[in-house]
Amino acid sequence: MASTDGHSGTEKHSPLEQFEISPLVHFETSIGDLAFTNSSLTMVITVVAIILFLTLTVSTRSIIPSRMQIMSEMSYNFIAQLLNDTVGDQGKKYFPFVFAIFMFVLVGNMVGMIPYSFTFTSHIIVTFALAAVVFIGVTVLGFMKHGLHFFSFFIVPGLPWYMLPILIPIEVISYLARPISLSVRLFANMLAGHTLLKVFAGFVLPLGIIGVVPLAFIVALTGLEILIAFLQAYVFAILTCLYINDAIHLH
Amino acid sequence: MNNETHKINELKNKIEHIENKKISKSKLKKQSNASFGFKISTELVSALVVGVGIGLIVDKYLGTKPFGLITFFILGAFAGILNIYRVMRRIEKQQ
Repeated sequence: MASTDGHSGTEKHSPLEQFEISPLVHFETSIGDLAFTNSSLTMVITVVAIILFLTLTVSTRSIIPSRMQIMSEMSYNFIAQLLNDTVGDQGKKYFPFVFAIFMFVLVGNMVGMIPYSFTFTSHIIVTFALAAVVFIGVTVLGFMKHGLHFFSFFIVPGLPWYMLPILIPIEVISYLARPISLSVRLFANMLAGHTLLKVFAGFVLPLGIIGVVPLAFIVALTGLEILIAFLQAYVFAILTCLYINDAIHLH
Repeated sequence: MNNETHKINELKNKIEHIENKKISKSKLKKQSNASFGFKISTELVSALVVGVGIGLIVDKYLGTKPFGLITFFILGAFAGILNIYRVMRRIEKQQ
């Protein structure tokens, strides 16, 4: 609330304005306002876009695929290959999980690249929730596969016993750091990229004729941003695969 | 004879073409070095954040004011370096 009062006078277009959450529909409950926000709206759009894309493109099931069918088959193959390379045959079971996360992050990033839309992956609470699902899921998977033997994951093999009191806390900290590094990477990349775009966009009009230079820069930067949007979804998916591999095989 | 040299030249051109493609691909990889550096730094920082967090919680509930933070900060730093080492080893394996 305070931020909307702060820049109403002098600064009209703050580069951070695009990240502001505004409620669209209010749901008053006993624990507070669970509003349907612009962030929720983009998430719904993302999910609907994924479902439409995947169902409509493969509905014809032709042997000689159309361009759109190739696109959805490629995205399927991409994750299936990734899972096969990192986890192996046992990883096939977890394909729906990894594919859902990959598509959600990728299409979410891409929807965020459309002008005037909202990038929900630029909010740490969204990416942290995704990372927490991966982290808790992988930990539960490890316990289901190995029982209490899962704790041997924190013991590095081939070390003398007197090193264990130091190394076990280090291993536990490095394990707990996984969801943080996973979420911060995605969030910071999207936040920094979109802020940079807006900052340079703010230079275009005040500079007059020289404004062509930042305009050209924005065009190049938009291309780079789309590359980063894909790369971050890929990194998120590959790290999920690696964590599943760790939970199944232990070391 | 003439036909053969023609064929060899053709093959040469093909090889050069593929070689050029490879070079442009490695250039594309170099561009993502920034994201690679970012990946490494988040590994280090996140381990430190977890270490400091545990240290502060330990201090709060056990009343060992500075020592919990100091110990777990150092352990967090070690964990961060260990994380970086693992990432580097994984990349080394891929190449």
